[in-house]
Amino acid sequence: MIPENDVFDAIVVGGGHNGLVAAARLAAAGKRVFVAEARASAGGAAVTSEIAPGYAISAVAHLLEGFPRRIERKLKLAKHGLRYAARDVATVALDRDGKHLVLPRSRKQFTAFAEALPKDAEAYRRHVARNRALASLVSPLLGECPPALSDSSALRSFLRRQVLRAAFKGRDVLPELLRVLPEAIGDRLEAEFESPLLKAALAFDATLGGAEGPYSPGTSFRAILREAVRMRGRGVMLPAGGMGAVSDALVAVIAASGGEVHLETEVLGILVEQGRAAGIEIAGGGQVRAPLVFSAVSPRSTMLDLVGARHVETEDLRELRHAVPRGATAKINLALDCLPHIAGLSPELHAARLLVVPSLAELEEAAIASRNGGLPLEPAMEVLLPSVADKSLAPEGRHVMSIIVHNVPGEMNGGWAGHREALLQRVLRRLGDYAPDIPDAVVAGEVLTPLDIDTKYGLAGGDWHQGDIRLDRLFSLRPAPGYGDYEAPVPGLWLCGAGNHPGGGVTGLPGWIAAEAALERWTT
Amino acid sequence: MTPDTAHPAGDEASAIDLDDERAKVDPALFEADPAEPPFARSVLTTPLHLVTSAESRTNRWIRWNGYTVPEVLTDLGDEYRALRGTAILADHSPLVKTRISGREAFDYLQRLVARDLSLLDVHSSVHVIFCESGGRVLGDGLLFRLGNEEYRLVTEESHLAWMAESAEGFRVRVEDVSASIAMLSLQGPLSASCLAEAGLEGIEKLAAFGALWGHIGGMPLYVSRTGATGDLGYELWTDAEDAPHVWRRLMERGASLGLRPAGFALRELARLEAGLPRAGQDYLSAFAAVSAADAVTPFELWSAPPLATEKPVFNGGRALRRLAGERPFRRLVLLRAESFEPASLSTVLCGGRSVGAVTTAGFSPALGANIALALVESASLEGNLSVTACRREGLSSREALLPVRILPAPAWNSARRVAIPAPLGL
Repeated sequence: MIPENDVFDAIVVGGGHNGLVAAARLAAAGKRVFVAEARASAGGAAVTSEIAPGYAISAVAHLLEGFPRRIERKLKLAKHGLRYAARDVATVALDRDGKHLVLPRSRKQFTAFAEALPKDAEAYRRHVARNRALASLVSPLLGECPPALSDSSALRSFLRRQVLRAAFKGRDVLPELLRVLPEAIGDRLEAEFESPLLKAALAFDATLGGAEGPYSPGTSFRAILREAVRMRGRGVMLPAGGMGAVSDALVAVIAASGGEVHLETEVLGILVEQGRAAGIEIAGGGQVRAPLVFSAVSPRSTMLDLVGARHVETEDLRELRHAVPRGATAKINLALDCLPHIAGLSPELHAARLLVVPSLAELEEAAIASRNGGLPLEPAMEVLLPSVADKSLAPEGRHVMSIIVHNVPGEMNGGWAGHREALLQRVLRRLGDYAPDIPDAVVAGEVLTPLDIDTKYGLAGGDWHQGDIRLDRLFSLRPAPGYGDYEAPVPGLWLCGAGNHPGGGVTGLPGWIAAEAALERWTT
Repeated sequence: MTPDTAHPAGDEASAIDLDDERAKVDPALFEADPAEPPFARSVLTTPLHLVTSAESRTNRWIRWNGYTVPEVLTDLGDEYRALRGTAILADHSPLVKTRISGREAFDYLQRLVARDLSLLDVHSSVHVIFCESGGRVLGDGLLFRLGNEEYRLVTEESHLAWMAESAEGFRVRVEDVSASIAMLSLQGPLSASCLAEAGLEGIEKLAAFGALWGHIGGMPLYVSRTGATGDLGYELWTDAEDAPHVWRRLMERGASLGLRPAGFALRELARLEAGLPRAGQDYLSAFAAVSAADAVTPFELWSAPPLATEKPVFNGGRALRRLAGERPFRRLVLLRAESFEPASLSTVLCGGRSVGAVTTAGFSPALGANIALALVESASLEGNLSVTACRREGLSSREALLPVRILPAPAWNSARRVAIPAPLGL
């Protein structure tokens, strides 16, 4: 299957979307690339799967929130089949009494918003303006390689540049940034808003994907970071045919440039010869050799399992070992035999991101429960009915529902055996509060706990960020001090997964920046 | 009361019943030793404590790694004259000895220490240093290769926790064997003669840093031609039980050659004359340094540190490769202060500004001057340096500023140290 004597310029371990982006970038630059993916389909967590005959759905990730225009354009993804079923998907916080709240993005929506919440409207405008201002400071940093910690002059000029840019944005921006960095989003929202639903919706967006509750320090900065990621893309997009379409387009780019994507090819180890990465060892015997090896799997398992502790300095080992990815998000995919009727929601908003959020206090409680290995009493979730905008996903008149459940423990007390059903029932009961016909409409479905996401889709710990998004694990410190510049201390080995700067989500950025940095090194 | 007089022989004899055919069994033999809680004992004695106690004429003791060792046994001047003129024997058992064994012991050590070990043969030793990820020194020591897959690292301080952590991913066993091995340091121009006199054959053929197995009076010992005196010297590694007998045997045979016992103060003076830094005294282990400024890089401590930056991966390698190209901020230098009597030295000044600190100081009889190891800012090394000195006279003390100059070579570095064959006799 694998050509014995072929010479490749680069090998990419792990065909998740970041691995594919890195491979596509290298292939577009004329390099011969070999992508090794252990599963039967490429894409990692950005795949479309069939949950029942005729019902297809994005298996794990379900929206493109900040896929950069730059990557899309340079790789010509549209030419290779990427279409969107919906652009700029709206966000609606569902209300039990039917007074759903559309988070406004246009003047018209804002008028409606101001009518519904007259007291909060002005505060919301200020909140968004402030977040935008801060996010516009952070956003450029997400698209570039952070400075190396060991290079003190680079670090100094980096920090000086940030301070100058902040000062340039306005007098209040720098003090505001200093305040936001350690702040808990819950405290900020309590002080600014009255509406419990609005507070909960904003807190949900800030904490989704992590294990922290809204009263944990640092969550305010997560909101800024998320805004910054969105700024790099073109708003929230729904790819036609599910998230698998993104991965398929990337595979098509690689194939068109002469690269090879090998499925069901498990990598046992990365070969290190004379201190340099020299290739990979594949299950079932055989080696593939190339001067450059990219790893899109988590930095921890890349260095500890694939490279081996012997090629890593003792203290790096300690840092890497401590960064245990712990997912706190479950995915539930349902096939429905009718369009659920959500009282008070206009038909066109059925295609929006629907947030089902309890109060701030309950969000915090859910975070504590999940940290202690229990299920949240009131699950908070992001619900999507992709088939409303994309008819190809389900048979005529039928629908699929994609639910991301927040605060689901990565390690369940007593194991997942009985709890998977309990989680599903809780989610369905909660959805029944808004759309009483949902529980009866379910014809098929699957529950993916963080553990399932790990085993089925290869995201270590089921964590879509591959390591906490915290200030001490961002930029040059991500995934560990000394590993911030994508090239691992083993020459020729590049880390290009979500465990690296700027983190998870289907952004392709870690893969893109790593490939760009490696290409730059190549030419010099 | 010594153990011999505790139980008068008469009692023992009368307790034996000659008519009883069954052997008398002492029930105490089958009693389990009362378990001692870990770390309960903070005052430790070396296997040679009884023999060194018997030699002590001063009752001056000092704590070294938790062990009680003699500081001066008779007189520092006498001991020094023996060291440089004949030979001395000292108890260096408190050194930390770590045994590293296993199939991947070599790979493990190669990643652990900064220098390249591929040329280290069985029965030889090298000076190694090991650093943390920032390139700051954790410790230094002597690494012996005892067999193909067995090594012994001898250090001033214990690094066991860090060494055990570093063992992840290697098929290797790391254990602290300090308590089971005693070490006798035999140093001085006549040390080879003393060993020959004691019955160790072929000792003169042993090269510096080499080692061999031998026996003295039937007791096996591992002899290495090592030491920190800048002169010919040997270190004898024996079982803790055998050590007192080896000591007595050597003292008996060496007495005619002028062999003298010596204490810790002489060890410090000798290594100061040889210009060798000691962990905990001249530098702090990077993990022990509270302030980052107290941690030092190998380039600050040694002018030619034993490291191989071309080695692919080793602890601190990334940082050391970077540091190798930079000028070290400080340097450890050997200073000579012009003064005829011993004084205590502290701060190094250059043009009235404090530019460094004395870490070890002493009066070198070889030079007839105060000498000191000091960490001095490298930018000031070319300038006129002076050092604050304090001299006590009766109850009053006098402070003075002594001019110092940097010694280009150690105060004592004899060609005998590496000569082959080692000189037997003067």
